[in-house]
Amino acid sequence: MTSSSDGPPGGDAPPGSNARPGSDAPPGATTPPARSPRSARILGGGTEPDPRFTLANERTFLAWIRTALALLAGGVALEAFTADTFAEPVRSGLAVVLLLLSLMLAVAAGIRWLAVERAMRRQAPLPLSLLVPVLAGGAALVAAAFLAVALGGA
Amino acid sequence: MHVPQDDPQDDPDRRPHADPGLQPERTTLAWNRTVLALVVAGLLLLRWVPGHGWFPLVLTLLTLLTALVIAGGQARRYRRSSRGIRDGRVEADVVGVLGTTAAVALLGALALVVVVALPLR
Repeated sequence: MTSSSDGPPGGDAPPGSNARPGSDAPPGATTPPARSPRSARILGGGTEPDPRFTLANERTFLAWIRTALALLAGGVALEAFTADTFAEPVRSGLAVVLLLLSLMLAVAAGIRWLAVERAMRRQAPLPLSLLVPVLAGGAALVAAAFLAVALGGA
Repeated sequence: MHVPQDDPQDDPDRRPHADPGLQPERTTLAWNRTVLALVVAGLLLLRWVPGHGWFPLVLTLLTLLTALVIAGGQARRYRRSSRGIRDGRVEADVVGVLGTTAAVALLGALALVVVVALPLR
């Protein structure tokens, strides 16, 4: 039996390959006790999800962390390189907004990774992300402030 | 990154996985990109030293240390996910993810301290 309906783009497993038993496991399958006690407590109960989903969740977390790092780099660069462009309170203020946004995204990325991992283990619907509106609102705010300062200075 | 090449059938940890979606590769590369982002941010922080004093060096050190720890775990991480794909279960990397979260959050908090409490001289 191949699991072509829920496989990733890229095709079915070759016949005889048992590469994705996770998607075929019955909901009540027991979890082998290889997990460390600390991880088990943090992740809560439930059954082990398909390993591909666990890895996809990890990559999504990393994408958010890199977004946070890019915002951090933006804040650092703004503070370091725009001394001649922006007056003092504006420059520090924009840098603080970017750094705050970076901090919020980093923390929220970790929280969301955990929430998704827990939901997958209980076969529950995945939680909605607050990250997207926060990032969109923050980026729009910074861009608007930039524009106002640039137009005001011209 | 450690990619198994020689006599992979000898060691159960090094037998290649059969995932056409290449999940282990993509995940390890995602960690690699994160390492690169950390290094860039850490080196950019050096630009703060002339204006803000020595304290930004602590941030650079923290950043590069985090990058080094992640990079050092890449071979283990690839083996873990490759084995996980084969066995149909992979243990979620709680320590790696929450540790990275803590490091980046601490970095952001310390950078805020620099901007607010250590103004340009």
